[in-house]
Amino acid sequence: MRARTIAVSAGLVVLIAVLAGIHLTQGTSTSGPLDVVKAIFGQGDAQTLAVLEGARVPRLLAALLLGIALGVAGAGMQSVARNPLASPDTLAVNAGAHFAVVAISAFGLSLPLVPVGGAAFMGGLAAAVVVLGLAGGGAASPRLVLVGSAMLLALQSVTVLLLLLFEEETSGLFAWGSGSLTVADLRATGQMTPIVVIAVVALVAMGGKLDILALGDDNATVLGLRVRRTRVTAIVLTVALTAAAVTVAGPVGFVGLSAPVITRLLLPIAKHRALLPVSGLVGVVTVLGADVVLRAIMGSAAAVRVPTGVVTTIVGAVVMVWLARRGRGSGSRRPAPAGRVGVAGSTRRLVLISVVLVALLAVVPVAGLMLGDRMVLLGDLANWVTGNTGTALTFVLDQRLPRVLAALLAGAALAVSGCGIQSVSRNPLAEPGLLGITAGAGLGAITLITIVPAVGAWSIAGAAGAGATVVFLLVYGLAWRSGLDSDRLVIIGIAVWSAGMALITLLIVVSDPWNSAKALTWLSGSTYGRTLDQVVPVALALVALTPLLWIKHRELDLHALDEDTPRVLGMRIERSRLVVLAASGILAATAVSAIGVVVFVGLVAPHLARSLVGGRHGRIVPVAAALGALLVSVADTLGRTVIAPAQIPAGLVIAMVGTPYFVLVLWKTRP
Amino acid sequence: MRLPIPAALVAATALLLSACGTTENTAAAPSESAAASGPVTVTDARGKAVTLKAPAKRVVALEWGEAEMVASLGVMPVGAADVAGYNVWDKAAPLSAEVKDVGKRNEPSVDAIVGLNPDVVIIADERDSTLVPQIEKYVPVVVTKSSDASRNFDRLREDFKLIAKTVGKEADADKQLSEMDAKLAEGKKTVEAKGAAGTPFLMADGYLEGSTVSIRPFGKGSLVSDTAEAVGLKNAWTGKVDPQWGLGQTDVEGLTAITDPKTVLFYSASEEDVFTTGLAQNAVYQRLPFVVSKKIHKLESGTWTFGGPKSIIMTADQIVKAVTA
Repeated sequence: MRARTIAVSAGLVVLIAVLAGIHLTQGTSTSGPLDVVKAIFGQGDAQTLAVLEGARVPRLLAALLLGIALGVAGAGMQSVARNPLASPDTLAVNAGAHFAVVAISAFGLSLPLVPVGGAAFMGGLAAAVVVLGLAGGGAASPRLVLVGSAMLLALQSVTVLLLLLFEEETSGLFAWGSGSLTVADLRATGQMTPIVVIAVVALVAMGGKLDILALGDDNATVLGLRVRRTRVTAIVLTVALTAAAVTVAGPVGFVGLSAPVITRLLLPIAKHRALLPVSGLVGVVTVLGADVVLRAIMGSAAAVRVPTGVVTTIVGAVVMVWLARRGRGSGSRRPAPAGRVGVAGSTRRLVLISVVLVALLAVVPVAGLMLGDRMVLLGDLANWVTGNTGTALTFVLDQRLPRVLAALLAGAALAVSGCGIQSVSRNPLAEPGLLGITAGAGLGAITLITIVPAVGAWSIAGAAGAGATVVFLLVYGLAWRSGLDSDRLVIIGIAVWSAGMALITLLIVVSDPWNSAKALTWLSGSTYGRTLDQVVPVALALVALTPLLWIKHRELDLHALDEDTPRVLGMRIERSRLVVLAASGILAATAVSAIGVVVFVGLVAPHLARSLVGGRHGRIVPVAAALGALLVSVADTLGRTVIAPAQIPAGLVIAMVGTPYFVLVLWKTRP
Repeated sequence: MRLPIPAALVAATALLLSACGTTENTAAAPSESAAASGPVTVTDARGKAVTLKAPAKRVVALEWGEAEMVASLGVMPVGAADVAGYNVWDKAAPLSAEVKDVGKRNEPSVDAIVGLNPDVVIIADERDSTLVPQIEKYVPVVVTKSSDASRNFDRLREDFKLIAKTVGKEADADKQLSEMDAKLAEGKKTVEAKGAAGTPFLMADGYLEGSTVSIRPFGKGSLVSDTAEAVGLKNAWTGKVDPQWGLGQTDVEGLTAITDPKTVLFYSASEEDVFTTGLAQNAVYQRLPFVVSKKIHKLESGTWTFGGPKSIIMTADQIVKAVTA
């Protein structure tokens, strides 16, 4: 084993050296490979030396630092969380650091470099502390990722909101949000290097303890490990690594997720003393390789527009899909079915909740019609229904009605879709967004907008539906290997989702870099500018498919148990799963065509429903549908009202309003 | 979920009951612009003929350049998008405190626009396309081209005249356009007199995010580049730019394409000043011709690079002053 570790490490180092050599010869100036070679042997012209000193070496060193920091951080987090889905991305550390930097820029706080770096660190640390605290410190692993994902979505939403509200102040930050290596000089890299070195050394020194921790909390305790302290120390170190990376280059996605996965593939039974440093090397290869390939393909001048993180994300996604298909499970342990909250399903409680939900479903849409930039009273509504309002008010209500309907219906559709997907994938994180369906819809729409700028709303809806279908079939097809393993489905879904979002960013920065606000608005889920005919597809899907899923509620219950019970009971598991997934996919796609990319509803509504009425799908499906409709409708109304005349897209409000609820449920049910 | 649910329901009901009534005056205020000077028909950037009963008095402008044009013609818009932002970024024609904010430029509030009871809404071509047909159901919409890197000055004249005709101020528009032409011609003479004609220039925005830098050069065809060339300068940036705005993107290494020692740098930076802070210590930057010769000029804050004739004059003044000083 030791020989294999040494061989792999040596191979990686050679690969890094080759990539670094190529990397130095690439750039936007006229200094070509020959000039660089001369300069390295001490015969370079002054211009080439300046280019090397001022641009290429800083970029190379930034890539090296980033790769090591993220690779090691990812490996550490995956070990601590005992979950291959844990990473700086999914534990919201990247998002926290990113948010801090964007906030400083948006509010026009002109700070010298160090405080910005400090802010990124504090942001990342704060996110990690909150995630850890809510997950109950040493709580079981799926909860950690669950809270982390909720926090990630909330922070991303606030960040996007700032980008939208401060369009001028933050116009460069959209691309930066995906990670850029175009550093100004060596200062940031130089300042962050000691932090990275210390954290890496400390983590590797903890390797033995991490090995014991991997045996499980109970075993580790028996073996005399102070589990909680080890875990907290390791997390703080990995956060420091991530924040250092964000400070230098912004959130470079997926390196922390894919590097340890690849490392485990290369060294299947490595202990942490080898796993951590080798993950760092793999991280460097990922970052450097992405940068080299990008600039080789696009040419250095054009590649300036494309954030390096976009490429690492796509590379990482491909690696993950391939890994998942090889069925090696990337060293994963199946996450326990979380969120199955033990609530006594008393009939009285059910009746009470039903009454409240029905009442709210009556009140909330009416309130949605009444509230907005212009407040309207019930008498106005009555006049409007009978056709007695003046032109202006008629117009206001005419354009408000489709928005209220779109929010209600799309919310319900996403929630029902989430119920189906969570059940058959038995994964608490599964939802239409994480299976790539919403990203596919967004990609379809943005592609069409890019090619045909003045295209009509109906065509955009169609393209969204087509994109969702294609991506869903892709995810399903990729996950299908003589059966459908639920872990594999979710891992491939997350990979495709990330790649889809990266491609959307790529399309925007390449085609229309100075009008990112429009795309951001669409992508964050908005009812802005909806018309009644755009609501029709989602209404049809709801009417047809909700009853279908509800009839199958016993099958959903069985799917949620485990792989074997349904088989034992004689259920045709594959066929049933395909039907459920197809129905869920169609519901999500039509929802996206109605209000854009809204995540979180499909995750939160079923969880909330479960905590209210227990784990039986016969009850969960209708309750979740009602909750989803209410959630999106309230979010939409708030977004149209709170900072009027400016508006907050519904999807952003959902993440901000939904997160506290979600976290509250998690908090109340902590072990 | 142990909320006092009955209490909540009672509260909700009370809220609903208190929300009865109406907000409309039964006597809906009719538009008063009947008299004036008869109907106007303009053909906008979409090629659509838009007819107004009279030249528009109550105008809502949803992009800053257009808002500036309307205001500079002596018609204070009743509404504009992101008024606060406008007053920071475009100081060529300040908006009065009465101008109502109708929301952000990317998603202006339809409620707010309609609530102002405007005679016309002016929308720039590249902004949200679903907005135009929606608003058009209620109020006439005039669409401007906003920018065209192949012919930006002609485009500016067309947009300005289109807006002027819409608000019945064509004579003012002609006067301002000839003022602008005179200013540019005069500037060109001054530049030539100082022997500065043909001075190469780079105009750019810079952004510093964390420690990363991106630089946005205004290439040939961008409005401010056309302005600088009109007073006799020559754009030194030859990299790829987009066809609408004439904007490019590069990093500090890419700026080494500029080699002429006479080159002057103009930049507009509102907050973080990347050229003096982020790049000051950079080896490549320090060797750039305009850094060596210290020919660096920051445009005054509020010089909007996508504005109307007033913005052009403001920009041209600064450029001429800089190269003839």
